[in-house]
Amino acid sequence: MSADLTVGRLFPDLVLPDHAGNERRLSDLAGDDPMILQFYRGWWCPKEQVFFRNLVDLQAEAEVAYTRFVSVSVDPPEVQAGFRAGIGARWTFLSDASRSHIGELGLMEMTDAAHRPYLPTVFTLRPDLTIHRVYDGYWFWGRPTNEELRQDFRAISHVSRPDWEAPRP
Amino acid sequence: MSWLWFDLCPAPVPGAMASARASDGAGCPAGVVCAWPPGQDRPTSTAVKIDERAIDPSGSPGWVSLARGADGITLPFDDPAVAHAIRMVLALAPADVFTTLVHGDDRCVGSLTGTHGDRTDLAFDPFANMFPATVLRVEAGLLGQMPAPAGPVTQRYGADNPWPWDRFQPR
Repeated sequence: MSADLTVGRLFPDLVLPDHAGNERRLSDLAGDDPMILQFYRGWWCPKEQVFFRNLVDLQAEAEVAYTRFVSVSVDPPEVQAGFRAGIGARWTFLSDASRSHIGELGLMEMTDAAHRPYLPTVFTLRPDLTIHRVYDGYWFWGRPTNEELRQDFRAISHVSRPDWEAPRP
Repeated sequence: MSWLWFDLCPAPVPGAMASARASDGAGCPAGVVCAWPPGQDRPTSTAVKIDERAIDPSGSPGWVSLARGADGITLPFDDPAVAHAIRMVLALAPADVFTTLVHGDDRCVGSLTGTHGDRTDLAFDPFANMFPATVLRVEAGLLGQMPAPAGPVTQRYGADNPWPWDRFQPR
């Protein structure tokens, strides 16, 4: 992993096609909200399928909590669209089928020469794309639990929402 | 501001910032689709709020699916049916334009889905389950191009704002 992808640094503002083929910029997808940025191997990996089920479970909370999810892989957009629909995800998938960013990010999984996928990695980001926490998911237990993600989003929201403390009379 | 006034009118209305004649699938005139800036009183008695990004005065022709309740028929945005329709919008392939139609602060009165492509892009409109929907051809001068909603957020960013407007503050 690139030395720049550490806590407190800004994540690069990637521009990639989404699952529908539309070019998207990461900062636009973040808006002013906290974000999960998930790099995954591909639709075919059983560990990813299990982890995505966790994220889909968390989706119900994120949809009312002003929190964004973005998933990135080397799968082409049409494959991502099918996978996204199949698992019931309602967030944006980004396709780096040409592997245009995998090198600069240092996120190539070196032990899979067949697929040359992204190394499973989860970043929680502040709205300005500052990295809050990094999870190395090469081993499944390195990935965040939904409870850890909730804690991250609470911490990010605390510092990024000016009205985190509810207004008092 | 993040919203505009919007209405389908029987004839052009003065003061519109964008307007386009509409026709049904058979080519019969269906009125004039109009949008107005927010800094004025409601321009017509039936005007509603839409996401400002849905409108482009220099936009090319297209098709829209206009789901709109009859006069006085509204649903709160917190109604599970509205929330479920928004979820379905996020799940589907994104359209060139999607915006909910807002009455007052918290009432949903329908949606506008648009495409600059083929009308078959609008074959399924989740909001048609709640509000009568009509597919219309609109001429140039109205229909914009919006980024697809990022998801998975289904909540509106503040009272007044339509969904999918995606920030608490104007850009």
